[in-house]
Amino acid sequence: MALVTTFWDIVHLLTGTPLFLVAILGLTWGILGGALPGISASITMALVLPFTYTMDPAMAIALLACVYIGAEYGGSIPAILIRTPGTNSSAATVIDGYEMNRQGRAGEALGISLMSGVIGSLFGLLMLAMLTEPLSWLALAFKPTSYFALGILGLSVIASMGGDSLLKGLAAAVIGLMIATVGTDPISGVTRFTFGVPDLLSGIEPVVVMVGLFALTELMSQSGSTSVTQLGNSIRIRLPGWEMMRTLRRSQIIGCILGLFEGLTPGGGGSVAAFMSYNEARRWSKTPEKFGKGSEEGIAAPETANNTVASTALIPLLSFGIPSSNSTAVLLGGLLMHGLLPGPRLFEQNPQVIDSLYVGSLIAIIAQIGVGVIILPACVWMVNRPRPYRSGFIFALILSGLYTLNNSTFDLGLALALGLVGYFMRLARFPVLPMILGVVLGHMVESSYRRSLVLSGGDFHIFVEDPIAVGLLGAALLFVTFSLAREYREARRTKLQEAHQ
Amino acid sequence: MNRDLIAGAVLLAIAGAYYVSIGTIADSTLSDEVGAAGLPLALAGLLALIALVMMARAVLATRAARRAGGPVAAVEDDEEGDASVPRALGLLLIGAAYVVLLPYAGYVLSVALLIAAVAFYEGAARSWVIPAAAIGGAALYWAIFVKLLGVHQPAGILVQGWLS
Amino acid sequence: MRKTLTGLIAAAMTAALGTFALHAEPLAYPQKVVTLVTHSSPGGGSDVFLRELSKYLGKYIAATFVVENVQGGSGAKAVARVAAAPADGSVFYATTPTYIYTSLLSKPSATYKDLEPLVNMFADSEVIYTRADGPYKTLKDVIDKAKSERGRWGASNPASLERQAAEQLKRAAGVNAAIVTHEGGGDMMLNVLNGTLDIGIGEIQELRSQIEAGKVRLLATFNPQRIPEKPDVPTVKESGYDVSLVKFRGLAGPKGLPDDVTKVWDTAVKAVLEDPEYKKRYTEEVLVANFIPHAEYPAFITNFADTTEAFLKETGAVK
Repeated sequence: MALVTTFWDIVHLLTGTPLFLVAILGLTWGILGGALPGISASITMALVLPFTYTMDPAMAIALLACVYIGAEYGGSIPAILIRTPGTNSSAATVIDGYEMNRQGRAGEALGISLMSGVIGSLFGLLMLAMLTEPLSWLALAFKPTSYFALGILGLSVIASMGGDSLLKGLAAAVIGLMIATVGTDPISGVTRFTFGVPDLLSGIEPVVVMVGLFALTELMSQSGSTSVTQLGNSIRIRLPGWEMMRTLRRSQIIGCILGLFEGLTPGGGGSVAAFMSYNEARRWSKTPEKFGKGSEEGIAAPETANNTVASTALIPLLSFGIPSSNSTAVLLGGLLMHGLLPGPRLFEQNPQVIDSLYVGSLIAIIAQIGVGVIILPACVWMVNRPRPYRSGFIFALILSGLYTLNNSTFDLGLALALGLVGYFMRLARFPVLPMILGVVLGHMVESSYRRSLVLSGGDFHIFVEDPIAVGLLGAALLFVTFSLAREYREARRTKLQEAHQ
Repeated sequence: MNRDLIAGAVLLAIAGAYYVSIGTIADSTLSDEVGAAGLPLALAGLLALIALVMMARAVLATRAARRAGGPVAAVEDDEEGDASVPRALGLLLIGAAYVVLLPYAGYVLSVALLIAAVAFYEGAARSWVIPAAAIGGAALYWAIFVKLLGVHQPAGILVQGWLS
Repeated sequence: MRKTLTGLIAAAMTAALGTFALHAEPLAYPQKVVTLVTHSSPGGGSDVFLRELSKYLGKYIAATFVVENVQGGSGAKAVARVAAAPADGSVFYATTPTYIYTSLLSKPSATYKDLEPLVNMFADSEVIYTRADGPYKTLKDVIDKAKSERGRWGASNPASLERQAAEQLKRAAGVNAAIVTHEGGGDMMLNVLNGTLDIGIGEIQELRSQIEAGKVRLLATFNPQRIPEKPDVPTVKESGYDVSLVKFRGLAGPKGLPDDVTKVWDTAVKAVLEDPEYKKRYTEEVLVANFIPHAEYPAFITNFADTTEAFLKETGAVK
């Protein structure tokens, strides 16, 4: 299972125009699809799938992998520039990315997300190429109880996210969880809260909620605001220098580690890793107070994480034939279509497929810097247009993208309704983030909790018997206690100060 | 703090409506002990509890402020303080009009109208730029979504009828 | 699979067919373009089935075949799309038991009753498997464990044929087993491999990697007969439990298909199943050809639906 059989294979693969071209085309296509709201990484890949049927299998697989890398990165561009996550996994990037943009630091924010993406992808590719075998067994260590605990750890973050009121954050999270219950019940298969609407049978897509709550709310808020702020961003893209990279190192390591785990385990497909690394980065940051107000680390962590996933998600796919996300499911389709069966024997029988997958990914990752530097200034220029036109184009972009999700105007109506909800939440000072976290994690928490209890016959000991679950639940408990204690201390301090005055 | 009282009441109403809808979930022996309605029941209860606490706190805070003789609710330094809610809702209505129009007028025409309407609503100067941006924007999006990506967008019942 | 994508239309590669030596002239057909609709996402089970099929169909029917993915609503939207199409042989739907289950469980506006089954092509093999280094060597070992303590069985989807199979086996053997449903076969595979589950019940196609790698052992198949490629795997019925299932895979169209269309398909599907290249391909994928002509297919589907409905009613999932 060598990375590449000989030196000459590398030379051949690098100089042979097809792979080089395929990698860059795939990457560019991926960035485009990922950057368009509503067109997720998996859809971007699915859109090129039919074209790959006639290609050489090795090229086809490399192309799909490069599209995946591009799409995971591309989602961050609209997240930073127009408060619209292009893909589910870039939702966490919105928080500090858009804030930096509002401060006129769009070029800096885009540069950080670009470089963090490259670092995440390189780390992921390294893991994929070197440690597929040992890591694939780590994927097996996760049981339903562990997934439940992982989801709870993710939700525990709400304790520190509530902003000025914990109660409001909690309320928002509960509503998010309620949205996640719509659709087909994961255990019994009965329908819940669908009211006979077929569009609701497979649930509400997280991206519809995100676009509604983030992007539409922002458009409405800008429209309603009399004090118009014109974004005056320089179109220069500023890649982070050495000094900045040192500051970001901690958050990028967090992103790499969480992205690695998320890629290995079936589930959220990047979005859970992005949110969790955002929170961990804040927890471990030297300047946690900057988070939410334009923190560079707040972009670096989720962007490193979701790009790491784009490579590590291939580990369970290639070693077990198990797609851990929708994107890798498309890749699996591509493999099957060419008569390739993923699994241990793929490495022996079709080493050229594996080689071109690795080398193609490497080319794409390096090319990402170049492609980014070329296209990003144009993107910044576009959002620098006068507000009336900018709003019109963003609105049209959102509604065009969401329509492609299910070919249905139902999703558009839903997003508009959620925009209304988000607007009133903003007026009433409810934080939006806990709600999105609820939508993203609700399904995983509920289904794995119930699955665990079915396994044990209703015996709660099953959660204690799984060491991973114990560790994660313990961490969640510690975190909640810690955050509440800190909040309490701060509240008392302000009260004391007021009393003194 | 009046705002929190209203918010609490709205949350209570959501919890109530959600609770009522739980009745529509079918009971199946294929289900587990928690059941399809298990989590929803817990969520409805939790939200109702949060709403009640929020309302109680709002009432108490108002009373305490009155007793202290201070202003009932201090006007906070508010970024949305100058917000015009009707204006914001108007923007949403334009979006709703697009959703209604889309199946009939088709993608290209609807997008052009949407861009023009939003630009006009947001106060763009009345000039040739509005129609130009609308047509250019519609062409651009059509090229990206329909031509380049090859995803489906409605052709429009009316437009099709007129063409054939 | 939670994500959805619709309206992705991809032309089948009829161009490539020019290179094949044709055994006979393709049959004349009233339509130039035939759209094959599936509810599965690109790369999903039915999608792969249709795309493979469309590669070979052009040899036997003089038309261009196009695959359209209409996802969402667990197949409800795809059924509605085909039910509303003209019944002239231009649009068909790839049937699997999913469309029966969705029709019964979700009560959408268009159900399986609004479609006319055309022909059946394959039976997918539903199997019981366990991890190769686990304690179970035969189905009897699994049942014995479930008798003495409590079994942990996995089914790949909540309300599905696999779930039904698990429930029926549990009843036939009279044992106590927790039936854990998953969202897709991959999820369940991990739980079988890590020992959380005693057995998993799923399609053999999803296990091919693991079977080849020797990580899982097949204990039995729910097929009425043994799988030709796996002659040493007994059927559940042979093992002493009277449960057998057919996971069908075929085509259906709008109601009122004309005779000239159905006749062409009867002949062409029979021929395409005999096509040596196609046969090699689908045998690799452990699909078992199970041709049911147009005259008999509607009765087969109705019978399947009635059995399913009775099962779901009995469990209370459907009133």
